[in-house]
Amino acid sequence: MAEYIVKENALKDFFKALTEGGKRRFLAPAEVSGKLQMIETDPEKVSLDFGNTHQSPKSAFFPQTEKLMAFHKDTAKSDPFVYKPLGLDETAPMVLFGLRPCDARGLVVCDRVFQNNRFTDPYWKSKYESAVKIGLACHDPRPACFCTAVGGSPFGEAGLDAIAFVRDGGLALKTLSAEGGEFLKGLSGLESAEIGAELAEKKQAAEAGMPGPLDQSKVAGAAVMEIYNQPHWKDTADRCLNCGTCTFVCPTCHCFDIQDEQNEKGGLRMRNWDTCMSWLYTVHGTGHNPRPTKTERMRQRFMHKLKYIPMKQDGACGCIGCGRCVTLCPVNIDIREVARQMNG
Amino acid sequence: MHNPYLPYPVRISSLRIETEDKNLRTFKFEFLNPADEDKFAYLPGQFAELSIPGQGEIPIGIASSPTEKGFVMFTVNRVGQVSSYLHNMKVGDVMGIRGPLGHPYPLDKLEGKNIVIIAGGFAVTTLRSTIVWMIQPENRPKYGKITFIYGARTPGLLCFKDDWSEWQKRADIDVHVTIDREAPGWDGLVGFVPTVTKNVCPPPENTAAIICGPPVMIKFTQPVLEEAGYSHDDIIMSLENRMKCGLGICGRCNVGPEYVCKDGPVFTLSQLNQLPREY
Repeated sequence: MAEYIVKENALKDFFKALTEGGKRRFLAPAEVSGKLQMIETDPEKVSLDFGNTHQSPKSAFFPQTEKLMAFHKDTAKSDPFVYKPLGLDETAPMVLFGLRPCDARGLVVCDRVFQNNRFTDPYWKSKYESAVKIGLACHDPRPACFCTAVGGSPFGEAGLDAIAFVRDGGLALKTLSAEGGEFLKGLSGLESAEIGAELAEKKQAAEAGMPGPLDQSKVAGAAVMEIYNQPHWKDTADRCLNCGTCTFVCPTCHCFDIQDEQNEKGGLRMRNWDTCMSWLYTVHGTGHNPRPTKTERMRQRFMHKLKYIPMKQDGACGCIGCGRCVTLCPVNIDIREVARQMNG
Repeated sequence: MHNPYLPYPVRISSLRIETEDKNLRTFKFEFLNPADEDKFAYLPGQFAELSIPGQGEIPIGIASSPTEKGFVMFTVNRVGQVSSYLHNMKVGDVMGIRGPLGHPYPLDKLEGKNIVIIAGGFAVTTLRSTIVWMIQPENRPKYGKITFIYGARTPGLLCFKDDWSEWQKRADIDVHVTIDREAPGWDGLVGFVPTVTKNVCPPPENTAAIICGPPVMIKFTQPVLEEAGYSHDDIIMSLENRMKCGLGICGRCNVGPEYVCKDGPVFTLSQLNQLPREY
């Protein structure tokens, strides 16, 4: 594990160096249309002073819309009507700087879905595993942040190759993985330094202002149907609009739809983000719908985050406490409140 | 890296109208690249995504048995965009199949047991696969008595008539095919599947039931098996839900923590008792 500092006047050089001379796509928090997002950006435009990005960084690896494969209809050529994969070879690897520790943990939850016990999603894997992920710790978590309540920390290290924190207008960095160590070694702008004590001190200070653990012990010990049949679901669902905002901004929501598009020459198979709040999401061809009302659909989302994912991922919570859904829900549904009801 | 989203290209090698209402057609596919047939190694109870370029995909149970070489067979009900398009396709047309997906029936765990297979309507597809597989000379000795109960509303709505007519002539499988009401030209059983099950199902000792059919049939057959003494561990079912990826990733087919595509579609009644009825 190596420790470095980057002085304020060396920041731009350092960010440029992260692209390895343009071989890597550089993603960092930068402003687009008045909102801060984790996007491909100019090293000049990186923001270090932010709560968190408006949307989660999942779209770097799981774009909102993505072409999976294409076919042509030209019978004079070989293989008409045979799909060929798209986007698996030509993508340049990424380097992400400024991932918040909560979001990095969210990516770990997604990774265990996209690379599950039976199948590997090559569209996810080719982007995720080749990416270098450098976190930026939170000195000053936002009011709706609760990573500490769900097992994380504003200085958390899960899913990251290195973690940085802001220091005297520049950065202090610690490598976390072998890949991160190898990648950062010798990069322009870096100076070796001892930052361990300072990091521990800042971590403790940041965590001190954060909420304590959310008790989910009863949820963990209960049978699925015991939680599923609790009476509070209907009350929360009465407020829910099924708008799907929570699912789009959530760093661990990974659901998608697959749709074909075509014209007279050929076509594409795409995948697009989908939401379990939608009636269409589960309806059978026959018209039967296993989750026919918004109560079932809203319950599904919270059961998935707080019961099903922990069951399938060795107890790991499906909510990483970024607070985006809490802030953006138009009817103020708060996952912390629902979690308390489930455990109550 | 293997791409589980990419269908194997296939050609429709034959098709037939399966039922008198013309809502069911049976398609046989042959692989454009013969090596893909080996890669598509499946067992009875698994399903595949039938993949039509420009239209989309539908998850359909595999009706052929892996012991039948040179083709893969599916019987498709016409309900939505993709299945309606497929019903208008012709022999020779090129499309794709993606799979095999899901888990098969627990054929190895069932070894040494008597098996009762109960089917209603067109839900018989993966059970046809199972019976064809079980009655192969190399597999038949692994199982005890095999009983097959199959019902549909009318004689013309029964699938795979050629197959069960042949099975009726065999001594190593008891076949009970029934229709709901008397019909001209029908001299077989008349009555609903639960009633026939009550009359002919073997005693529960060392016996397992595999049951696939419309919800109403399952609703009334399950108590018959329970009364006969079958344990919920020995009642095996196959679920269906709306699916996209078939890989346990896209989300929608979950029933509680289990994905019907990746963790099912085969479940025992004991397992289903622990899960929401979201199917």
